[in-house]
Amino acid sequence: MPFTAHDLRYDLERSYPSLCAYLQQRAQRYLGPLAFDANEVDLVVGHIVEQLTRLQLLGCGDHSPQTALDRLSHAQFYAFLNRSVKNKAIDRLRRRRLPTSTLAELERLGNSDEDIDPLATVTNSLWGSTPFPTPEEAALHAASQEELRALLKHCIEGLSAAPRQLQAVMQELTELGAGDLLQEIAEKYRALVADLPSVHLSQHKDHAHKKLRHCLQKSSTNLAVLVALRLTEYGQESTDAAEMSVDIWTLEHVDLSEQEVQTGLKHLVSEGLLDWHGEEIVRFSSTQRKHLTRFYEEGE
Amino acid sequence: MNKRDQNEGLPDPRNEYLPLAQWLQQVLAITPPEPKAELTSITDNGGRFGDDYHSEFYRQLPDFVLALLNNDTQATLRFAPLLFHLIGCPTCHAAYLEIYDAMRATVVPGEIRMPAGKSTHSMATTSSRMLVYLCQLLINQAETVLREARHKHIDNDAWARSLLQQAIQISSHLMQSTLRQRALRDLVDAATLFDGATTPAEQSPAAHSYTPVMSSSGTRKGGKTRRRAEIIDHPAGQPTIYLQSGLSGLEGTITQHEDTLELHLVDLDQKLHGHFLSISVPLGSILEPVRWLGGDPHSIRSQVAVDEDGKLTTALGKTELRLSDPEDHNLLEALFKKLDVRPIA
Repeated sequence: MPFTAHDLRYDLERSYPSLCAYLQQRAQRYLGPLAFDANEVDLVVGHIVEQLTRLQLLGCGDHSPQTALDRLSHAQFYAFLNRSVKNKAIDRLRRRRLPTSTLAELERLGNSDEDIDPLATVTNSLWGSTPFPTPEEAALHAASQEELRALLKHCIEGLSAAPRQLQAVMQELTELGAGDLLQEIAEKYRALVADLPSVHLSQHKDHAHKKLRHCLQKSSTNLAVLVALRLTEYGQESTDAAEMSVDIWTLEHVDLSEQEVQTGLKHLVSEGLLDWHGEEIVRFSSTQRKHLTRFYEEGE
Repeated sequence: MNKRDQNEGLPDPRNEYLPLAQWLQQVLAITPPEPKAELTSITDNGGRFGDDYHSEFYRQLPDFVLALLNNDTQATLRFAPLLFHLIGCPTCHAAYLEIYDAMRATVVPGEIRMPAGKSTHSMATTSSRMLVYLCQLLINQAETVLREARHKHIDNDAWARSLLQQAIQISSHLMQSTLRQRALRDLVDAATLFDGATTPAEQSPAAHSYTPVMSSSGTRKGGKTRRRAEIIDHPAGQPTIYLQSGLSGLEGTITQHEDTLELHLVDLDQKLHGHFLSISVPLGSILEPVRWLGGDPHSIRSQVAVDEDGKLTTALGKTELRLSDPEDHNLLEALFKKLDVRPIA
């Protein structure tokens, strides 16, 4: 076996020549009429090398976390590389404005290794052929999923520390007609923004957007919402019924690491929703449970 | 026939959320909304990743994609920060599509021709352009890792050091000096990002800053540097790293006597005569095979003072690397990519 993902991660100097040779061979195959253009071949090979570097595989050893790429079988990893090369080669051919018929021939040529047309036999996931094919589709998904809207609501509520910014966003939501989302926020913060003048809101809007952007893309916020949800779901009443408890492993379920759960718990502590000091059993009162529920729920 | 046609008369429930989605996209937009048909490549931007490389999100793409392919209904919630990021970042979204398609090929039953047998490929048979390219990528990745660490107040020094070591090691296989120079162009910039690697405020500016005159494994012939180097006292034909100070045009050499690396400087200014020098090799802490005199490559005290002719010969440290070996020579040359001297008061 010339090289594996493991080799590229842990022994780059030895495995890189084999990677380049493989990518070059595949690039020449898929570039068709451009196969003898050294620049084009290098461009395709270089693109894949760059992608593997950006994905923090090449030479990263144990310094970067392993990903799904590391867990692919050897054959799957080669399939990944092969498809990446093919896509980039087709992209280059399109950029060079080769006739469509030539591209179709190349598609057929590429399939000879795979027996079947990958494009015609895509795995049908719940999401259809390709989930979120555009940023617009991703936005629509985020806006229409209750739990993701809950994250958005949580981040908007975080603006209450700067009432003018909250007011600016509430005005935007009013104009959008985002009824459900607005209604709950408005009920909670009506008094806070009631007496604020509604002029010069545009500069506050820009600041508010920046904060929202940061909040929505912050792992700790999202983990906190997920952990809050699980605390209320999995929490068991203790004997005196005034207290609930759940251990960290239960919160991990099957998809979170211990570190992720701890990050989420720490965020909840920082929000004043929980008293937790690193214990393996997380305990919270019924009052805290209510607050935790409010933390993630929408449409209370 | 699309969904709307099938459900004629019934509004698409997703339309209810369309205005909110559009607003969300506007809020999350972090780059100009000009979709790129192709990812910016390092070859397009002079060897740098650019501002649109969001490493924290990029590395999550394979796991996110696999979760989607496995029909994990919690995928978007688990990877919510990434999803929100993809809404606003066309570059990462393009990478997501590319990785999704490539990962999908891994779950489709089919055959892929895998290279068989033992690999016969080596650095010597690999395109030098691809070696240069990898070195640049590794150095850029090290820079990204260090900047991210600074931003998040975490320690990524070992990771970045490992990437730079690999870049230097791989560049040593390039026998053409111009290619090595290109491969390691950003090395010094990256190394200055290490904690404590920057010149402390209390340290005076360097009197002279030397860089190697790139040679082909110490066999450089002719030229001004060679002629001037002959002035410096070492046996002719001895493997040498030639140094030059850009601003002052001063020259120097590094030679090896058994395990000891020796620095030879000539024509130093009058004001340095009679002074001991502090020698700094900023990249000295990156490669471990050199045991620096005094232990700190940022502050090596010369063993003697500059003589009345402006000459200085002093040991720098010991190493098992050999200047006579072409690859070792290239490694050491990379290490001395910058050498500063300043007088000790």
